[in-house]
Amino acid sequence: MEDQEILAKFDDPASRNVAFNQLVRKYQQKVYWHVRKMVIDHDDADDLTQDVFMKVWNNLANFRRDASLYTWIYRIATNECLSFLSSKRRRFFLPINDVGAELAAKLEADPGLAGDDIERRLQKAILRLPDKQRLVFNMKYYDEITYEQMAEITGTSVGALKASYHHAVKKIEQYVMEESTRD
Amino acid sequence: MNTPFRLDDHKRRSQPLASPPDRYFDQLPSRVMARVQTTPDTGLAGTWGWLRHLSAPVRTALASAVVLGGFATSFWLTQPAAPVASSATALAAVPQAEMVQYLLASDQRVTLSDLAEFSNTPPDLSDAYLQASAAEVQDALDSQPSEDPYY
Repeated sequence: MEDQEILAKFDDPASRNVAFNQLVRKYQQKVYWHVRKMVIDHDDADDLTQDVFMKVWNNLANFRRDASLYTWIYRIATNECLSFLSSKRRRFFLPINDVGAELAAKLEADPGLAGDDIERRLQKAILRLPDKQRLVFNMKYYDEITYEQMAEITGTSVGALKASYHHAVKKIEQYVMEESTRD
Repeated sequence: MNTPFRLDDHKRRSQPLASPPDRYFDQLPSRVMARVQTTPDTGLAGTWGWLRHLSAPVRTALASAVVLGGFATSFWLTQPAAPVASSATALAAVPQAEMVQYLLASDQRVTLSDLAEFSNTPPDLSDAYLQASAAEVQDALDSQPSEDPYY
C-alpha cells in the first residue's frame, strides 16, 4: 500500500487503526534493522522499535503530507538510537570506550557472526566509529539510502555526509587491516 | 606484512547480525497496536486540542508569552500597594486632637522637659483641652512632684 493511501486512511478515525497496522507492517523491518545495527542487542532494538512506532502514532497527525513518510520515520528512529546511546553513557557514567566495549561484547556473542572472522572484524571496526558517523555509514552501506535522503533524515548537508562516509570507510579498512595483521 | 582490506571487495551482508526470534515480525504489529491502544490520552484532544493546529513556532511563542506573563503578574502582585511614607510624614498626617488624646490616655508620662521641647505647641492648646484657667494649671503643676530637677 502506498504511503499516501495509508495516510489518507489514518486521517479517518474509522480506519485509523487499520492504517497504522499497515504502516507498522510496511516499515517494521527497516526500522528494526536500522536500530539493531546501532544498539546490537535484540532486546534493546525491540524496545526502541516499539518506541519509534509509538512516536509515529503520536505525531502522525502533525506530519506534513507533502514530506516523505519513509525519511520521517527514519529520522525518528535515528534520533531514538542517538538518545538511547547517549543516555546509556550518562546513566552509567561510562566513557565512550566502555559503551563501545559493551557493544563489542554483545557483538562477539552474536551468533550471526560465528565462523566469519572478516565479517566480525568489519562489525567491530564499524562499532569503533562515532555514533553519528556509524549511522551515516549504516544508512549508506547497508540501507543504500541516497545522500539526499540522508540529508533530510540527519539535517546535514550532502557534502558533509559524503565526507563522513568516505572517512568512515578509510577508518574501517585501516582497522580491519591492522586486526588481520595482529592475528 | 599487512593484508590490505578493501570494503568494495568484501561481500556485503544486508543483515550481518543474527535474525530476531521466529515470528518476531509477525507479532510486532499487534504488540505495537496493543501499546497504542493502552496509551492514555495526553489531554490535548480536549480543552487544549486547538494547540495541535498551531505551528511549532507559534506554539513556542505562545508558551514564551505565557511564561513571561506569569513572571510579570507575580512581580506586580508582590509589589506593595503604596509607597511607605517616612515616619515624619506619617506623624504629620495624624490630627493634633487625636495625638493629644493619645498622650493623655496612654501610660506615658509627659515630663516638663518634654513640654519645654515641644516648642511648636499652639498657645491656646491648654484652653482647648484642659478647660482650666492659667492659675488652676499652675496650682496643679506646683502640687506635682518633679522628677526633673532644674540646675
